[in-house]
Amino acid sequence: MDDRVIEFVRGMRAAGVRVSLAESMDAMRAIEALGVTDKTIFKSSMRATLIKESQDFAVFDQLFPLYFGSGGPMLQNALEELSEGDQEMLQAALQALSGRMQDLLDWLTSGEGPTKEELEALANQAGAQWADNPGEARWVTRRMLQQMGMGHLEQQLSELYQKLQEMGMSQEAIEKLMGVVEANREALAEQVAQQVGMQIAQQRANRPDDLHGSDLMHKPFSALSEEETAVLRKEVARLVTQLRTRAAMRRKRGTRGKFDSKSTIRANQRYGGVPLELRFKKNKLKPSLVLMCDMSRSMFHVTEFMLTFIYQLQDQVAKTRSFAYYSDMQEVSHLLNSNRAEEAAQEVFDAFYKGSPGHYATDFGGSLDSFYHHWLSAVNGRTTVVVLGDGRNNYNSPRIDLIKDLQKRARRVIWFCPEQERQWGSGDSDMLEYATAVDSIYVVRNLAQLATAVDKLLAGD
Amino acid sequence: MFKDIADVRERLGQQQYIASEEIGTVTFLAQSLSKPILAEGPAGVGKTELAKAWAKAIGRPLIRLQCYEGLDESKALYEWEYAKQMLYTQLLRETLHKVLGDVQSLSDAASRLAQEEDVFFSENFLLPRPLLTAIMSDEPVVLLIDEIDRADVEFEAFLLEVLSDFQVSVPELGTIAAKHQPMVLLTSNNTRELSEALKRRCLYLYVDYPAQDAELDIVRLKVPDLSPELARQAVAVVHQLRNMDLRKVPSISETLDWARALVTLNASAIDEKTLSNTLTVLLKYETDVAKAKRMMGNSGGSQRGRWER
Repeated sequence: MDDRVIEFVRGMRAAGVRVSLAESMDAMRAIEALGVTDKTIFKSSMRATLIKESQDFAVFDQLFPLYFGSGGPMLQNALEELSEGDQEMLQAALQALSGRMQDLLDWLTSGEGPTKEELEALANQAGAQWADNPGEARWVTRRMLQQMGMGHLEQQLSELYQKLQEMGMSQEAIEKLMGVVEANREALAEQVAQQVGMQIAQQRANRPDDLHGSDLMHKPFSALSEEETAVLRKEVARLVTQLRTRAAMRRKRGTRGKFDSKSTIRANQRYGGVPLELRFKKNKLKPSLVLMCDMSRSMFHVTEFMLTFIYQLQDQVAKTRSFAYYSDMQEVSHLLNSNRAEEAAQEVFDAFYKGSPGHYATDFGGSLDSFYHHWLSAVNGRTTVVVLGDGRNNYNSPRIDLIKDLQKRARRVIWFCPEQERQWGSGDSDMLEYATAVDSIYVVRNLAQLATAVDKLLAGD
Repeated sequence: MFKDIADVRERLGQQQYIASEEIGTVTFLAQSLSKPILAEGPAGVGKTELAKAWAKAIGRPLIRLQCYEGLDESKALYEWEYAKQMLYTQLLRETLHKVLGDVQSLSDAASRLAQEEDVFFSENFLLPRPLLTAIMSDEPVVLLIDEIDRADVEFEAFLLEVLSDFQVSVPELGTIAAKHQPMVLLTSNNTRELSEALKRRCLYLYVDYPAQDAELDIVRLKVPDLSPELARQAVAVVHQLRNMDLRKVPSISETLDWARALVTLNASAIDEKTLSNTLTVLLKYETDVAKAKRMMGNSGGSQRGRWER
């Protein structure tokens, strides 16, 4: 049993769930305390000890039956239900039909399914040993069932029933037989699906790790595959913790402000006015942000990760208002405030594309103009304005005058640009002009650069 | 102490807490592995209630630590009672004179005073806050650390020592280990990610909104005055609301409030009028109320007619 649990933990790790050694030891202790006889209790004790995030429940529910399942439901014996004469008739009919379907028909009628080894051999024949992605499971299962002859089963069965009828088996007995065979067929299909799922999960666990979060951090956003993005999302969570600790430390060091006489007198009333505790005014180091994010498809990953960062770090930021632009500016703060960060970014995208169907080209200048009309009050002397965009304006007016004015009103204007410096100014890029108007520009081509830039942003320099 | 999972569920049931099999299993595991439970889930599904019922079921006192932003050790663990220390110094002035009466030099006085220093940093002047109370308690207790996600990350790190070793360090006194290991329940509304180190030390329990039948059982248990038929209808309405896209969906506690409101108003059926009068008990945003009213108006042909008139 212990080995099985360890295999299970390996399978979960391969599926991207973080399980520590301490947690797998807890799982063992839970088994000692509660045993494994009751399946539901066993399952919830495993889940309570191994899984610590509700979003990992899905993986757990998917893998658990593969590792601790019975291997699928048992097959029934059709012969038991039949009288002796009928049994002989069935045997004879099966012999008469003999062919490559023999095995399958035997399994379905005798109630003795394929052994574990036979199943494994069949799965390998169907290509299960080359599969290490759960997405391939259905395909392999289908292939395996085909190879077993499920495709021609209907025809074979009707031949069989016909033969039995000719041999003089009663209609009632045939129907009984049909019922059992039908049930067995479903059970067998389930067994096959579990076998395939199990094998794939194990192969995935044995696959060498090729996706390391830390390596991917330096891979450009534009070159990320879907799978790599998923890995990076986990990496973001780790970075957020790091950034938060650093920001909190900075804030702690910075809290010692000017001496606060009023508060000191009040605090020391209880010592009869003897100033035992000194109070200081707090320095507000939390930045207040206005984010403007480009919503074009090419910017998807940068924007998603940026929003995730900022909204996971809400406790380190005094106030954030978020705007998204494409052809026009929209405020999206409400979407982000009411959701968890990972889902929120997707929601912003959905809302944005639902709101403006059809193809529009980026127009930052125009967007800036409508920002001026509607939301200028969001910017004051304490605000840091962060623009996330590639500065490609589709030959629209860049409105440098507005960004210059914004720079005067705000504490500072920072630009996060996903393009390298040598690409600025090429084609429809207005980056070189914007560069002169803003306080600083960070090139954010990969997650590592983005994390550094966000850290600088929180630090206030 | 609980004997087995069935015992957990039965005794929680006696405290008017209906525990699912999962809650029973995790609670029992927490006891047999002596590990804290981390309960996550939406607000108002009875996470805090579980701690209360747990404490009552095993007849232990409950100590509660409510977390908030800015909570620190001096509020969670202990504080020196400056005022009492000051007062004692004043009162003991005479005695001090005696102790210091015959010393010649200042350094002699200081060293003699230093010998007595322990008096002022003893447990007499220690003001225990919830965590220290739980650890120093002479009988085993249930410790509830409520809404841990509201506390700062640093506080979370500080909790690690308490949760894994059940001991705390007070620099002036040394390490204080728990006389009896407390049962610990942490709750979180999942407003932010908790650190992995903390999660690793806990058993994880995700409490979600209950299924319709289970919630009906809860309503029947907690509000026995409500007629069974009305209770069934009320729970059905709540479940319908939870499926809607609302800013804040009603929680179990709000279902119970609503059920009590229906009893108080002597409602005989849940019709448009009762509903529109009492919907604000369930929904806490104007937009949600409006949306729900529209939805209710659209469901069922007969109701719709009346609604439009």
